[in-house]
Parts: sequence; C-alpha cells; structure tokens
Amino acid sequence: MAVVVDHLWKTFQIPHERRTTLFENLTGFLRPNQYETYTVLKDLSFRVEDGESVGIIGDNGSGKSTLLKIIANILKPTRGKVTVDGRMTPFLELGVGFQSDLTARENVDVYATIMGLPRREIRNKMDDIIEFAGLQKFEDTKLKNLSSGMQVRLAFSTAIQTDPDILLVDEVLAVGDMEFQQKCFDVFERYKREGVTILFVSHDLGAVRRFCDKALLLKGGQLVEFGETNRIIDKYIYNSGENPAGDEPGDKSQSSSQAEGGADGEARGDAGGEGKKTRWGNGKVEITGVKLLDKNGRENSNFVFGDPLTVRIFYRANEPVPSPVFGIVFYSQETYCYGTTNEFKGHDAGLISGTGHLDLAINRLPLLAGRFEITVAVASSDYTTAYDWHDRLYSFHVHNPTRELGIFAMDGSWEMVRDEQPL
Amino acid sequence: MFNLMHLKELKGYKDLILRLAWSDFKLRYKNSLLGFMWSLLEPLLMLFVLYIVFTNLMRIQVEHYQLFLLLGIILWNFLDRGTSMSIFGIIGKPSLVQKIYFPRDILIISSCTTALMMTLLEFLVFVIFMAFFRVAPGFSALIFPLVFLFQFLTILGLSLGLSALNVFFRDVQFIWRLIMQVGFFATPVIYPITIFPESLQKFVMLNPMARVLTISRDCILYGTVPGAADLAYVALSSLIVLFIGYLIFDHLDPRFAEAI
Repeated sequence: MAVVVDHLWKTFQIPHERRTTLFENLTGFLRPNQYETYTVLKDLSFRVEDGESVGIIGDNGSGKSTLLKIIANILKPTRGKVTVDGRMTPFLELGVGFQSDLTARENVDVYATIMGLPRREIRNKMDDIIEFAGLQKFEDTKLKNLSSGMQVRLAFSTAIQTDPDILLVDEVLAVGDMEFQQKCFDVFERYKREGVTILFVSHDLGAVRRFCDKALLLKGGQLVEFGETNRIIDKYIYNSGENPAGDEPGDKSQSSSQAEGGADGEARGDAGGEGKKTRWGNGKVEITGVKLLDKNGRENSNFVFGDPLTVRIFYRANEPVPSPVFGIVFYSQETYCYGTTNEFKGHDAGLISGTGHLDLAINRLPLLAGRFEITVAVASSDYTTAYDWHDRLYSFHVHNPTRELGIFAMDGSWEMVRDEQPL
Repeated sequence: MFNLMHLKELKGYKDLILRLAWSDFKLRYKNSLLGFMWSLLEPLLMLFVLYIVFTNLMRIQVEHYQLFLLLGIILWNFLDRGTSMSIFGIIGKPSLVQKIYFPRDILIISSCTTALMMTLLEFLVFVIFMAFFRVAPGFSALIFPLVFLFQFLTILGLSLGLSALNVFFRDVQFIWRLIMQVGFFATPVIYPITIFPESLQKFVMLNPMARVLTISRDCILYGTVPGAADLAYVALSSLIVLFIGYLIFDHLDPRFAEAI
C-alpha cells in the first residue's frame, strides 16, 4: 500500500485582521481576533496501491492541491492520518530553490540535492541533465540570463533524474509548449512503466484519462468517488452542473421544467444585455429559456464528445404565429461551426400559441473539444423578421476522451493496401 | 521531537545542508568584483578603525591588543552573522517551505553553516596575523575547538528559536538587531572584562558569549588553560539554548507553510 489516507480533515484558520507583528498582537489582546474557520478537506479516506496512477480531479477550491500538500508532508492534517510508504518526490513546482545568480550547473547541483539525489549520482548525471535540457553552451551562464523556457527545461531535466517510489504531480504539465508537454508525458509514461505510484492533480481531463488507472473526484473538500478513471471523469462532467432539484431524470414533468426554463432564460438575457447587443427581435414569439441536456436528461454545461446532447428551447407565443422557424448556431470562438433550423431539418412547427418547448436532439456530438457558444433564435417562416434572437448567449464545454486533435471529429477508418512487391 | 532519531534523519541530509550552505556562501560574493576578499576585508577594516580608536583615544593596555581585538571581532561576527542570516532562513525561502518537504531545521543548520564557513575564512587571516606578530599558540589552544563548537551550538539554538518566532512575529528581527547592538558593547568584544566595574563583572559574565570570548583569548593568546567551571558554564548554556531553541522551532514548525 503506497499511500493510505485515513479520515483526513484539514481546516485553515483565516484571521479577519492579520497580525504579524508583536505590537499588533499585544494591542489586539483586548479585542479577540476573529477567525474564519475554513474546512478544506472533510473526512477523506482512500488507499492507493503500489504502482497505481491516480488522477485527482475536481473544481477549483475542491481541495486537490491541499490534499497533495498534506500527502507531501508540507501541510499537517488537522485530524486524521496520512501514511506514505516509499520514497516520495513531489513535483509541486519545478525548480524549487533555483537561484538566479548561480550558474545553470550550480543550480542543477542544488536542485538535484533538494530533490534527494545522492552526490555521486549528481556528478555522474550532470552532463546528461545539461544535454537533455539542451544547454551545453550555457552551462556556466547565470540562471538569470537564461530564458524562462530554458529554466523550465533545466528544472525538468533535473527533476526527472530522481528515482521515486511515489510521485506527486501538481499541474506541472500546465507550463511549457506542446513539445515540452509531450516530453513530460513521455517521462510520466516511463515512470508508470517502472511501477512508480503516481498521484496527479490536474484540470486536464484528457491527461488524466491517458495516464491514470484510477481517478479521485473531490467536491467541496469531500470525496465524491474513487474508482476507474473513465467512470469518474464521466461522473465529474455530468454532475458538475448546478442541477435544479426538480430537474432530476425521473422528474421531468413538462410544466415544472418549463417554468424554470423561463426564469433561467430571462436572467441570462439580462446578464448578456450589457455592452454588445446580444438579444433583439419584435417579441411576437419569445424564447423564454434554453437548456442543454446531457445523456442523463439533466441540464449541464459539460459534455463528452460522442455523447448525446439535446438543446431544449422554451418559447412563449404572445399571439398565434404560423410555422415560426427555430434556429441554432454553434460557434467556437470566432468560427461559425454549424447552423441549422427546424425548417432545414424538415420540421414544421405549425401554428403556435401559448408556451411550449422544442428539442434539437443530437445523437452523437461531433464536436471534439473546447468551449462552444450557441445562438438560438426564432423568426418568421420566411426568415425575414426576427421574433427573438439570443446571440451567443449560451455556452458549453466539450471534453475529449480520445487522443485526436481539433474542434470536431470526422468518422473514419484507416485501411492499407500494399502493392505487389516486385521480386 | 528532540531525539536521536531526528539526528539520524539529519545525517541523511548532510549533502543537502552542505550544498545549501555552500551555495549561499557563493551567492554572497557572486556579484562583487573582489569576491571572497570582501569577507576578509570587512573584519580587517573594522580591526583597523577600532585599533586606532582604542589604542590612541581610549588608551587600552592589553597584551597583543591587535590579536585580542581581531579574535573578538571574528567570534562576535560569527554570532551576529549566524543569527541574523538565520532569522530569515524560513521566511526568506518560501518555495523551499511550501513546495517541497525536508526537515525544516535543515534551512537553519545550513545558514549557520554558511556563517561558519565565513568565520573559518576569517580565522585564516587571524592565523596570518598571529604569525606576523610572532605569537605562537601553546597547547592550551587545543581547547579552543571545543569552545568554538559550543559557540556554534549556541548560535544554532538561538537561530532556531528566532527564525521560527520571526515567521509569526516579524518584530523579532528588529528586536534582535537591537539586542545585538547593545550586546556588542555589553560584552567584552573590543575591551577586556576588567574595563567593567568589579560589581558589574559578575553580571557581564552571565552572558555565555562573554565567557566564550575570554576563554578563547586565554587559551589562544595567553596560553592559559581555562577553568573547568567556565568551560562547563559555556557547555551547559549552549546545550540549554539549543534545547529551548529547538523546542520553539519544533512547536511552530507545523504551521510554517501556512503562515509564511
């Protein structure tokens, strides 16, 4: 058992006024200091087996980094216990203790020692480290005269010389360019093959999916679930939205979701009203709300490529209108990705009056990764008059479970045909 | 806790302590032209000024006064540097406290070791001075390393306590500066203990540093073997200071990463 976390609690006490001098403390004696107690981790228990790689995921402020720091022995638990069995190397920050006035070589010396490399090994590996960082020409240059990219490469190539049983990684991969990130991934793959236990905190769900056998989902300092990576990530994506209580999958009565949809839509319309004009139209038919529903039928703003997505448009016709056209446009930043209407799809809304909703059901989401915005509009049947236009008022995220790149994916397969080889 | 296990743990970090101390030592002179020479020049200049003042204006009559003065300055500097560098040992290195773990007293031990390195360099000058003034140390000088060790332990103890307190009360660094300034004159650094009135001498000698200075001079310059009581006092006080400093440090250590 590499890491055992047993009923771990962590609370921070944040004083309302910070007293750092003795004088402030003495004069403050009469007025007791007010503390805000902030519980960051609540009763966490889990075990990580030897050689497992575990991704720790969750929203900002869910306690991921605090958890990692406690495991790294940097912060002390308020209650509970953490047992770590094996040599541990934390990669919480690259280049800890780097001194800008020392040369590259001297810094490697210090940093490698901090990371726990024995002296002889540092001497032996020094040239490799410098070479791997591509800094042969600059080994005697002061660190401050190296570019920040060079510094990161130097720190990284030093750090990966360590030979840990347990590796703690906190978003280190977030720095650097694509090439550097790929280098990082290669190294982590190597560690993984060598049977190193890895705990990996990241917002990059793709990276977690690639590296981690298991994932641990934190929410508000509590452990939501710990288990197989894909299942946990799925849970994270499809449960992270703020779901109204009445919108549970089993409770989809039309009237209730319609009412909520209306309130929701108005609020968003107002919020987007400042600055650029985001809503216009003569109001004959109003769009009172738009909901994005995931495969579980819940409202969500996070989706996975290839999963179903339903866009639900709530409307209110203030007078009877014949065959209005409902349209939707998907944008990725400034790129117009896709636009469609119910009329294009051969659907006729007929004469509408009163309220109701219209669904666009997408069976397999072809968008691959990133943030997308949606325009939703309703117009007259001949497309000349806009009744209500919500310009890019709605957005959602798509998470990529594959290793393919880009904003959308094409279905396809590879096939090879070998020509007859001449003898 | 204060136990042998911890000492054993520290032994595993020997490389780190030396590496940190050495890099700090190098850093101090990295951007100066004269480099290491400054380390030597500083006490010499001070010696020069004080020597002129005290031999001509104050008319102090002490045998080998140049050496007496130089030894006093070197040993006092050791205390002054060791503690004032260490006082920033924790708050001055946030990334080493918040981004990685090793026993944090290593930071303090290493800054005290940096001060030790600087002092040893100064002793080189002292030896040259001794040769120049033709003063040969007797066998009694063999006691000096022991006294020096106790002084190091005292400095380490003070540094541990002060650096830990300074994380929570930044006044400590200012108060300590003040104490060091007063201490320079309240301790026989530039003059012999006999300059103090008889009635005061007892109190002055309560200060372990006063005894370190008198014992060191006696055994190096004047060939006198120090009294067992003096030696015991220095030894015991250094261990007590170290123990108390360690307790304070150990008590506050768990909150360092949050409080910096």
